[in-house]
Order: sequence, then C-alpha cells, then structure tokens
Amino acid sequence: MFYSQNNVTLERRNLLILIVLTLFVILIARLYQLQIVQYSRFAGIAEANRIRVISREAPRGIIFDRNGNIIADNKSQYNVNLIPFEVGQNENVYNILSEILKIPEQEIRRRVRKNWRGQFLPARIAEDIDFETLTELEERRLELPGVLFSLEPIRSFPAGANLSQVLGYLREVGKKDLRMIKDYGYRPGDLIGWEGVEHEYESILRGKRGYSFVQVNAFGQEVGEVRNKRSVESKFGNDLYLTIDLGLQQYAEELLNGKKGVIVAMDALNGEILSLVSKPDYSPNLFSGIVRSDVWNSLRNDPDKPLYNRVTQGTYSPGSTFKMVAALASLEETILDPKTSFRCRGSYKLGRRDFKCWKLGGHGRMNLYDAIVNSCNVYFFSLIRKIDIDIWAEYARKFRFGELTNIDMYGESQGLVPDKAFMDEKYGISGWTEGNKLNLVIGQGDLLVTPIQMVRFAGTLATNGKLSTPHLGLKYFDRDNDRFHYFAQSTGDSIDDISTSSWEFIQKAMYDVVNSRTGTGRAAKVRGLDVYGKTGTAQNPHGDPHSWFIGFVKKNEQVIAIAILVEHGGSGGGEAAVIASRLFRYYQKELVPQHFTSRGINRD
Amino acid sequence: MFITVFLLCISGLIALYSASLHVEAPFFKKVIGKQILWMIVGLLAILVVFFAQRKLLFNGALILYWIGIALIIAPYFIGNSVAGANRWIVLGPFHFQPSEFMKIIVIIGIARYLSKNDLVISDFKSLIIPLFLALLPMAIVLKQPDLGTSMIYIILVFPMLIWAGARIYHLFIIIAPVISILTAFNFYSFFIWVLCLIVILYFSKEKIWLAIVLFIFNLSLGFATPVLWNRLKPYQQNRILTLFNVEADPQGSGYQVIQSQIAVGSGGLFGKGIGNGTQTHLKFLPEQHTDFIFSVVGEEYGFIGVGSVLLLFLILTVILISVAFRLRDRFSSLVVIGVTSVLFFHAVINVAMTIGLMPVTGLPLPFLSYGGSFIITCFLMIGLVFNLSMDRHR
Repeated sequence: MFYSQNNVTLERRNLLILIVLTLFVILIARLYQLQIVQYSRFAGIAEANRIRVISREAPRGIIFDRNGNIIADNKSQYNVNLIPFEVGQNENVYNILSEILKIPEQEIRRRVRKNWRGQFLPARIAEDIDFETLTELEERRLELPGVLFSLEPIRSFPAGANLSQVLGYLREVGKKDLRMIKDYGYRPGDLIGWEGVEHEYESILRGKRGYSFVQVNAFGQEVGEVRNKRSVESKFGNDLYLTIDLGLQQYAEELLNGKKGVIVAMDALNGEILSLVSKPDYSPNLFSGIVRSDVWNSLRNDPDKPLYNRVTQGTYSPGSTFKMVAALASLEETILDPKTSFRCRGSYKLGRRDFKCWKLGGHGRMNLYDAIVNSCNVYFFSLIRKIDIDIWAEYARKFRFGELTNIDMYGESQGLVPDKAFMDEKYGISGWTEGNKLNLVIGQGDLLVTPIQMVRFAGTLATNGKLSTPHLGLKYFDRDNDRFHYFAQSTGDSIDDISTSSWEFIQKAMYDVVNSRTGTGRAAKVRGLDVYGKTGTAQNPHGDPHSWFIGFVKKNEQVIAIAILVEHGGSGGGEAAVIASRLFRYYQKELVPQHFTSRGINRD
Repeated sequence: MFITVFLLCISGLIALYSASLHVEAPFFKKVIGKQILWMIVGLLAILVVFFAQRKLLFNGALILYWIGIALIIAPYFIGNSVAGANRWIVLGPFHFQPSEFMKIIVIIGIARYLSKNDLVISDFKSLIIPLFLALLPMAIVLKQPDLGTSMIYIILVFPMLIWAGARIYHLFIIIAPVISILTAFNFYSFFIWVLCLIVILYFSKEKIWLAIVLFIFNLSLGFATPVLWNRLKPYQQNRILTLFNVEADPQGSGYQVIQSQIAVGSGGLFGKGIGNGTQTHLKFLPEQHTDFIFSVVGEEYGFIGVGSVLLLFLILTVILISVAFRLRDRFSSLVVIGVTSVLFFHAVINVAMTIGLMPVTGLPLPFLSYGGSFIITCFLMIGLVFNLSMDRHR
C-alpha cells in the first residue's frame, strides 16, 4: 500500500528537460550579450566607476592642564598616499614622485610595501610635506594617477613646558602591534599613544576616523560624491584635563635645567600631581608627528636616558629622608623613650667597622627629635640595633614602599623594602649582619624607592596617614554626552594604626628641619610660609651623592607635598633644599589655591 | 551527481574567498571560513538523512508538514525580528531560517499526496490539495517578508504535478490568471497575452463553454486589475510594491542590479582574475557574498567561469531528472523531482536577477552563496536524493 508505481512517461521527462534547456539557453544568451558583446562598454564603466573611500583622520583630544591651559593641541599636516592598484606598473609615477618629494624611488617602493593595506587602499609614502611640494604635486596631478594627499592632524605643543615623560608620545602602529589591537579599528600607519598619558588615556583621546565616498574617474580625479553612500564624519577625541599646573610645571622644569633629577609636587589630600619633572627630558615637538628615525635613535641611545621617566621608573636609595620610618617605629612600638639620648662622636663602632655620621665632629647628645632635625646617623644606628628588621620593614610597608603607587602611568617600578626573608634569601641566613641594618635605617643598602613613592610618603606624613593614589588624569570632556567625567579616585586608604601624637611629633621635627637654626633643611625656608621637610644625601657608586628633599606645606586647607632629587647633586641640604625653597616660593606667590577641584567643589 | 555538487561548492568557495579577501579577521570569522564550517555541518546532515527510512518519511509526511508550518510561524511569536524581518529562529549563537528547511518538507508532503494509489490525477480536483500544501507556507513566508522563498514553494509544485501526470491544460488554467494580472499593466503585453490565450484555448480541444468562461474571466481580470490598482491608496500600493522589491536597495532603484551587471559585463571572456574585481572589492555590492555571489564569479572569471557554473547546474539538473525517471517508486521519484525544481529554480532565478533579467527577489545560489540554513538545506536535499535513489527499501 505504501508504494505506487512511478508511471511517468518519457514525454513528460523530455518536457521538463526542454524547459530546463530553454531557461539555460536564455541565461547563457544574456551572459553572452553582457560579457562578450557589450564587454568593452561594461569594462569602461567599471573602470570609470570606482568609488574611492577617503578616510578623514580624526584629531585627537586636546590635553589641558588643570586650569584649562592647552598643553597638547592639534595642527594639520599634509601627507602623500599612493593607491598601488591604480599606479600599477606605471614607472613614470615613481619617477615624478621621487623628483618632487626628493626621495629615492626605492625608498618610495619600500614605504608602499611597509604601509601596504591592500592594493585598492592608499599607502602612505610621505608625511608633513611643505606647501611648495604640495602645489608642485597638485600641478602635475594628471601625470600622477593614484596619488592622493591627505590632511591629517598631528600634535602641537603651544605650552612652554616640555612635560615630555608625562605626555608620552605618538607612534605609528606597527604590523606586529596591529594583531593585538586590530579590533579597535587601528590600521597600519595610524598613530597611537605610547607611554605617558597619551598611552594611558588612549581610548579617551583617540578620535574616530570618518569616511567619505567619492566617485573617481580613470585619472583618479574626483567626480563627485557617491549617491547612495553617505559619508561618515570624523569624530574628535575627547579632551583630557591633567592635574598638572602648567605654571608650576614650567617653573619646576626651569629649576632643574641642566641637571639630572626629579621634581614632583602633589596635592597630598587627593593625589593630584601638580607638577612632574624628570630631567633630562626632550622637546615634545620632536614627536609631533611621526618620529624621524635619527631623532629616535639619538634619544634612545642617549646615556642620560631622556625617554626614561625617573619619577615613576627610577629606583634610588632614599638616604636620610627614610629615617622617619624608623623614628615612627620607635615611637609606636615604644622601643625607646623619645627623650632617651645618645652621644654622637661622628661615628658608630660595630665590631671592627666604623659607621660614620655625616658630621665628622659629631653632634653631641641627641634625642630622637634632635636626631631628625640634625639628621644624625649615630642616633639612628643606635636605635635600629634595638628594632627587629621585620618591624622596620613593616613600618616601611605601611607607607606602601615596595609596591606600585598605581599612578596612571605605564611602566612604574615598585622599589624594594628588604626584610629578614629577603636578606636571608639574598645573602644567606648568616651572610648578613647588624651592619646591613645600619645601612638600611639611613636609607642606604638594598632599600630602593621611586620619587613618586617619596612624594606620597611626604604627603602621608603631612596628613597623619592619608595614602592617596597619585594621578595625572583629572577629568575629560565626554563629547557624546556633552559633559565632564572625573576620573575615579581611590579614597579612604590611610594608615590608621599610628597615633596622632606620633604624627605630630614627626611633623614638628620636620618643621624644625627647615626652620630651626641647626636644621639640615634650612635652605628650604620660605618667609611667611610654614615649610616642613627632610633632607637626604644618598651615597651611590657612580659619583657624588644624590641630593634629596621631601617636604610639604599646608595652606588654605591644601597640603602640597613635594619630592626633589638631584642626581649627584651633593648634600640634600644644599642642592635639593634650595630648589625646594624656590618651588615653595613660587607656590606662595603664584598658585591660586584650589579646593579639591576634582571633587566638584569650586574655587572660592 | 556528487562530483558536480563538489565542483559547485568549490567554485562558491573560491568566489567567497575572493569576496572576503580584504576583510581582516581570523579565518573562521571570515565568510569563507564560516561557509566551510557550514558545509561540514551539511555533510553531517547528509549522513543523518541517508539513514532516514523512506517508510518513515512517507508515513510521517503530514506530521512533518505541520511541524514545519509551526516552525515558520514561530519567528512571529518568538519575536526576534532582524531588520524588520521575522525569518529567523535564534538559538544561542545560531540563527536559523526554518523557511529553508520547509522547502524539503513541502516537497515530501506533496509527493506523499501525489503518490496515493487511488488518486485520479487527471481530475482537476486532485490538484487542489498540492496547491494548498504549497500556498499555505507561501502565504506565511510572504508575510515575513521573503518573496523569493515563498515563490519557490509554489514554483516547485508545477514540475511535480507535470511529473505525476497532471493535465497540462489544468496547469495552464491555474497559471493563466496570474499572467493576466501581471501583464495587465502594459497594453501591449496584455494584448499579446490575450492573443496567446485565444490560440491556446482554441487548440486545447476542451469543452467550448469552459474555454469561453476562462477567456472572459481572464480578460475581465486583466481589465479590472489597473482599475483596482488605481483605486488603492498610495500607501497600500507601496505596501504591495515593497513586497515585490523587498531586497532592493531602498536608496536607489535598481542600483544593485546595475552594479552587478557592470560587474558581470566587465568580466569579459576570461575575467579579471582572482581578487582583482574592482566592482567586487570597491564594495559596490552590499550582498556580494550571498545573493550576488554570481557577479563575483562573473567579474573575476568571466564568461568561461559563469558558463562553467551554469553548465554544472545544467548537468546536475539533468542527472537528477534521470535519477527520478529511473526510480520505480512514485513517491521517491516525486521527491527527487521536487528537489530538482528547488535547486534549478533557485539557480535560474538567482542568475537571472544578477544579470538583470528579473527583479531582485533575494534568492541565494545553491552551493555557492553564503548562508548556513540554506547550504545545509541544499546538502540535505542531495542526501535525500542519494538515499531514495538507492531503491534499497523495496
């Protein structure tokens, strides 16, 4: 019952085959007509009928300082591009280009290969051509089918400050990087932020490329807009506001001119970096567009490392500035009564070794307070003998030494706080002695800190334990929603287990470092301003000691912490303290107090 | 049969390769990579179908049919409309288009009915059920809106009816009113059609009163159509026009067709070579990897290329018809003919619209166009033919 006989007739089969053949012949005939008979006509149309996609490069967001002064702006540059398919084997084009651009033909070909994105897409062959070259190219346009100019925005730096390491620079996206970031719409030859805030805030600063579609004829001349494809406007990047105060920054950069070293100033209450100088630096204008390889190489190979951000990447011995850690440990753990005093005769004998105080003649009787003010080593040698190395290390870590501050800059170093485990590991359990401890307490030996950690250290001392995260990004203007976004800050992190009396003890001592007659930081004194500080003179194997000064001022409910380091600058009380006084004097005169702008409270 | 299918798949992959040449994405995210994955799934589907029992298909045809209807209605209720079209059922990462699989189900359903032992096919009444089986899914899919697919349902009925032995005259009676309506908008086309009608009716040797009734019916239909059309409100007219032009570029009438003709025409005899199609790569054709894949072949491989592809389709069709002819079981034979018509008309309509012989309706080219549900359906159909042609169920 399931099966009925297939009773189809031959006639019916042939009918179907006939229908099939008829339709087949109609199609073939039509194809013959299109492809053979009318071939030349359609080939012509196809040739003339090219749509060219012209990308409109988007300017990056402008970078402002905290007061709205422009730090990094955009200017325009003319670039020359070449569409490989349209140029084809036309030797003439390469000839003419070589002649006008004054680049050898081989170099042009090399650049085409390097920036290849496909034979229908323009490849960059020259950048930032001057107006004369542009007109010359324009005049000979008919001889140069497939050659295009594009107007592209590049960076300009109207401000007088360099801010080199803060800003970072723009770099061409290479083929290798591209594999990782392709999903974000980068193409070979695009500029991308590298280092500094250009890198850190790339996603905010970067604009969105627009496109327009033009129809072009066989000569590569634009015929008009394409009817059914709407062009897409390019979108500006968002403007970024830094916490930097441009005036202070400019002044700080001048203070360090010709020296190697660091100046950082930070609002201790919220971590806003007001100025950040790492010298030697370089002019950001070198990086406005795409860096020339000779410039790049000379910067790379400079022994003074101008590309290196000493503030966040440099690790140094803090010298005597670190004595406050042991002092706090002593006060809190009641190791010694602060009134207990030792006699300093200029050196401390441990076994057969002599550990020297900086003052050859000795300080005489010193208690804890005097020892900070006069930066007496012998007192601290005696003190550290009574403190377990792990207790000392614990106090150092309370200030987050040995870990990243999480400043918004890529490539920060974390420094090193040695403890017992570390020393055992490095020297063997019996390989190190009390002598190593004596070095550590005065900020030498294996201890390593970065200047950004030191400025926070100063800020924490000033604010009874507040640990704000240093940061350079203040806010950005969100173009899509037409409003400002403030960058979230970590709040509430602080050292809670140190008593107020201990903080005040240290602060008072730091005041006298600068303001008493015998204080080592006398040079930092500013009339009419209460400057607190501590000097440091860090021995190093490469030459003269590094000169340190950390300190703070409190004025109008604002606490400004600073850290200054001059490499091979000699004693802290000399070089660094002098710079500190100038910086504070500038602050006293010029800086408009701003009450926590980033938290939305306005200036008064 | 398998060789031709294989060659068609290969030519499709080459064209897709070219179409996705300048797309920067990992291989299996490109159209070509995904298509290869779909083809592998399709091969698995062939295996599944190969083991399906003929008996099961025959007995379950009706149940299968209603399941199919439920599935093509489902998108309206699950409500995942993609670009205003209710075509897809979304299951996690997969979008599938039940209307594609419905093609097979309709074939089986009609074949089942037409192979009833007591059916008198020469009786006009016997044609009503098959037509209904095709018209119901057609109406649903037309509303989705998908004109191309819905047309396929109705077109596949006619070769099957011819195969089953229906009277040609009856089929003519069914088709005539449609032609009357379509030709009615142009005086000359209508005039020629009326002449044809007279000649055919005169020579049909049917009862004279029936011929007269038919003639008057078609004539009045033709006259009434423009009048009724003009009485429609513009938005109603528009709604019908959009229906017939669903896939056309809304911004420019016939822009795609012109561009695809230029693409094909500029291919010449030998084509421009792989990856060199300017039309293809300068993004003239928005759907070059699906419905307009043929234009890529035309531009890059020229007359030789498209001629070969068409020849492959011709060979496949003839092979399938021969298979159907050879089979002794009527149900199997009809299923094979149904499959043949679906594949053949897909190819013809697709090519015709690519080269400007038909309005754009949005039908893919079997084995060449990109599209998961469709490629699996095509493979299923081939698997089905292979299964039934074994004649092992006897």
